[in-house]
Amino acid sequence: MKILYMIINVLLFLALAPLFEGMIRKIIAKVQSRQGPPLLQPYYDLLKLLGKENMSADGNAAFRLAPMIAFASIVSVIAFVPFGFQEGFLGGYADIITVIYLLTMGGVSVMLGALSSKNTFASMGASREMITMIMVEPVLAMTLIIGALKVKSLGIGASIAGITAGGYGWSVVLMLAVYLMALQAFVARQPFDITEAEIEILEGPFIEYSGPNYALFKYYLMLKQMFYAALFAMVFVPVARTEFYALTVVIQLAIVALVFVLISLLASTNPRLRIDQAVRYYTALIFMALCAVGLSVYGI
Amino acid sequence: MNADIYGSLFTAMALLAASAVIVPLVSSKRRLAGWLNFGFTAAAGVIVLHLCYILIFQAQPQVSRLVNFGFFNVYFLVDGLSAFFMAIIAFMAMMSAFYSIDYMEHYGEYALGGYYLNFPVFILGMIGIVTVDDLSLGFTISWQLMTVASYFLIKFEKNDEKTVKGANKYLVLMELAWLIIFIAPFFVRNAAFGDSLHSIANNMGATSPAAVYAVFGLILLGFGFKAGIFPLGQLWLPDAHSVAPSPISALLSGVMIKTGVYGILRSFFWMTPHAEHFRMNWPLWGIIIAALGVVTLFIGTVQSMKQNDSKRLLAYSSIGQIGYIVFATGAGLFMFNAGSDFLKFLALVTIIGAAYHVLNHAVFKGLLFLTSGSVLYATGTKDLNRLGGLMKLMPASALVAGIAALSISGVPPFSGFASKWSIISASIIAGSSYLFLAIFGIVALFTSAVTLACYVKFFGMTFTSTGSEWSVKKEVKEVTAGMLLPKLVLAALCLAQGLLPFFYYETIIGVFAKSAGSAFHSSFSDPGIFNSIGNSSMGISVWAPGAGAVASAMATPAVILVVVAVALLLAWLFRKSAGSTERTAPAWLGGYQDLHDTTRYKNRSMFSALKNALRWTGGNVEE
Repeated sequence: MKILYMIINVLLFLALAPLFEGMIRKIIAKVQSRQGPPLLQPYYDLLKLLGKENMSADGNAAFRLAPMIAFASIVSVIAFVPFGFQEGFLGGYADIITVIYLLTMGGVSVMLGALSSKNTFASMGASREMITMIMVEPVLAMTLIIGALKVKSLGIGASIAGITAGGYGWSVVLMLAVYLMALQAFVARQPFDITEAEIEILEGPFIEYSGPNYALFKYYLMLKQMFYAALFAMVFVPVARTEFYALTVVIQLAIVALVFVLISLLASTNPRLRIDQAVRYYTALIFMALCAVGLSVYGI
Repeated sequence: MNADIYGSLFTAMALLAASAVIVPLVSSKRRLAGWLNFGFTAAAGVIVLHLCYILIFQAQPQVSRLVNFGFFNVYFLVDGLSAFFMAIIAFMAMMSAFYSIDYMEHYGEYALGGYYLNFPVFILGMIGIVTVDDLSLGFTISWQLMTVASYFLIKFEKNDEKTVKGANKYLVLMELAWLIIFIAPFFVRNAAFGDSLHSIANNMGATSPAAVYAVFGLILLGFGFKAGIFPLGQLWLPDAHSVAPSPISALLSGVMIKTGVYGILRSFFWMTPHAEHFRMNWPLWGIIIAALGVVTLFIGTVQSMKQNDSKRLLAYSSIGQIGYIVFATGAGLFMFNAGSDFLKFLALVTIIGAAYHVLNHAVFKGLLFLTSGSVLYATGTKDLNRLGGLMKLMPASALVAGIAALSISGVPPFSGFASKWSIISASIIAGSSYLFLAIFGIVALFTSAVTLACYVKFFGMTFTSTGSEWSVKKEVKEVTAGMLLPKLVLAALCLAQGLLPFFYYETIIGVFAKSAGSAFHSSFSDPGIFNSIGNSSMGISVWAPGAGAVASAMATPAVILVVVAVALLLAWLFRKSAGSTERTAPAWLGGYQDLHDTTRYKNRSMFSALKNALRWTGGNVEE
C-alpha cells in the first residue's frame, strides 16, 4: 500500500505541474490586461518540444546528462516527500538532509548544463543560479529543521508533521512569513527570476537547449515550482489533515492552487531585482530563519 | 602477537628508509627510479595495511610499549586509532608513488634524486607521528622527518621564487608548531623527556589546574596549526599545498594534515588527566574546538570559492574540509561530556562522522589533486580562467574528476555524503538540547552548498565551459595509463565509501573499540551500540535514546541511487518518446563563437555577487 502512495504522489505531480504553470501564465496575463495563452498551453509546449531536434554546441556528455539529472533529482525528491500526510514507502531510507542534498542536485545540473553549452550568457545564468541556490537552500533547510528539532528526528514525515506540532507559536509564524518571502525565489519567479532573466540574458542557462532536452528542463522547473507550493501546504497547513487520504490530497491541492495564485500575483506586480540586491534580501531571510530556529528550541 | 605488530611495523619503516638510500642512486634513470620508489613504497604499504587489518579486526586492544633503539628508548602505541591513520597514509602513499612514475616526467629540467630521497622519508615520518606515544623524543624525530622531508618536496621546483617562498614559510611555521607542542608537556609537574602520554596524564593529577589547561591549550594550538584550523591554516597551507608537485599535494592535503587531527583526538580523548582535585571542563573545550571547526569550515570553503588557481582552490577547500572534522571532534567532545544519554550517544555518531570524513577526505582530495595535476601535465596551466572544454579531450580524467567533485560536495550517494550527513544530522538533532549545536549544524549544511558551488566551478571551468586555445587545436591528450590507474582506483573507492556506509560505520566502531584507554572506549566496545545504529539496506539508521520510536536519522545511499536511477530512466524514456534526433551546431554568440577566449565568461566572474557579499571572509583574489 505504501508504495502506492509514492506512485500516486509522483503521478499527481507529473500530471498537474504543467496545469499550475498554465494557471500562472493565465493569471499574470489577466493582471496585465491580456488574454493570455490557454490553460493547457504548457502541456502543448512540452509535447511540441519532444518532437523537435536536440541541438548541442559541443556534443559532450555533460550537456546531454544535465537535463536528465535535473528531472531525475526533482522526481526523486517528490518520491521521498509524500503528499496527503501518508508516510511514504521510502520514508525509512532517507531523512530531510538527504532530501535537501537531492534538491540541490537540480540546481547543480542546471549549472552544469549551462557551463557545458559553451555560451557566455548561459555561464552568466549558471553563476546566478548557483548563488540563488546557496542562499535560499538554508531557508528551506531551516523550515524543515524546526520540525526536526521539535520531534528530535530528521525523518521526513516526522519533521514535516513536527513543525506545527505544538500549534502556531511565534517561531512557526516567523518561519511561515520567511517561507512566503522566499517563495518567489524558490520557484524562480519575479522578482527573483534572475537566473533566466529572458530580456536580459535570454533565458540564461537554457539558451542553448532545444527539443526534448529543453522539455526536460521545463518540466523540471514546473515540478520544482509545484513541489515548493505543495511543501508549504504540507508543512504549514496541518488543518488539511482528514481521515480520508483522497480528501486530504484534494484539500492540499486546493491549497497549492491558492499558493500559485499568490505566486502569480507577486510575479506580475514586481520588477526583477539585481543579483546583488537579491543576495542582500536572502541574507536577511537567512538571519530571520535562524531566529525562528532559535525561538523554536526555546519552545516559543 | 606484540612482537608481530612491532616486527612488521619496523620492517615497513626499514623498507622506506632503504628506499631513501637506494633509489636516489639510480635517479638519473628517471622511470626506473620511479618504479623502484613505487616498489619499496608498495612493499612497505602492503605490510602496513596487513598490520592495520590485524589491529582493527583481530588483535586485542594494544597498550603503550617502550621500544629500545640502542641509544635511546621510545614509547610506541600501535592500536586501532593508529592503524586507521596508518592505513590511510600507506594507501595514499602507494597511489601517489605510482602516479609519480609518469607524472615526474613533466619536470624534465629537474633532477629526481632529492624527490626520491624525501618521498619515503616523508611517509616514514607520518607513520611515526601516528605510532609514537610521547610528545617529546619519538614525536620530535617523527615530526622533523615529516616536516623536513616535505619541505624539500614542496620546494621541488626550486627555480620558482613563489615555490621557495611558500616552502620556507611552511618550514618556519611547522617548526613553530613543533615547538608549541614540544613545550606543552613540560607544564606538567614531574614531566620528563620521553614520557608516554599515559604517564603525562597520570602526572597531571599533581599539577595545578591552570597548568593543565595551558598544556591542552598549547597542544590544540600546535596540532591545530598542522591541521590548518582558521586562522593558522591560512598562514601556510594554501601557499605550500598549491606549489608542491601534484602527487605531493595529494599527500599533504589528503594525509599529512590529518596528523593534526590525530594529535587532537589522541590528546583530548586519550590523555585525560587522572586528577582528584579538579574536574577538567571538557564541555568547554568541546565548545572551543567545535567553534574553531565551524569558523574554519565556513571561512576555508568560502575562500576556496574565490580562487582562480585550481590547486589553490583545492588547498583552501582542504582547510574547509578539515573544519568539518575538527567541528565534529569538538561537538563530540562536548556532547559526550554534556551529561545526558541522548547527547552521549549522538557524540558517538559525530565522532564516527569525524573519522569517516578523515578517510573520505583523504581519498577524494587526493584524487582531486591528482586530477588537477593531470590537467596541469596535459595543458601546462592550472589557471581556471584559461582552462575549459577538456571533457572531450580527457574523458577519463573528466569522469573521475566528476566523481571526486560530487563526493567532496557530499551529494548522495557519493562518499562525502555519508560522513557529512553523520556530522550534520547528529549536531542538528543535538540542537534540540543546545541551540548552538543546531546553528553550527546549519552553518555546516550551508557550507556544503558552498562546497558544491566551488566544485561545480572547478569541474565546469576545467572540463566543460568554452575551452580556450586547445579546444580549437585539439592538441591536448588524455594522460597516460600510469596516471589514470591510481585515479580510477581512488574513484572506485569514492563510490564504495559512499554506497556502503554501514560497512565503514562498523569498521570505525571497531577502530575505537580496539583502542583502549580513551574516554569513549567503553561506549564503543559495548555491542549495544548496534541497537541504536542500525543497518538498513547497507545504509544507516540512528535511534537516539529517549527520542521516541521514530528513527532519529537515516541515510541509505544505495536506495537513493536506485530511486535516482529509476527517475533517470524515466527522464531518458521521456526524452526518447518522440524519437527526436541530435545535431551539433556552434553556440550562438552573435557571430563571435570561434573567438573563445575574448568572449568567454571567465572564472573570476563566477559568483561575483556572492564573493562581494563575503569579502570580509578574506582570501580574496585581486586582479
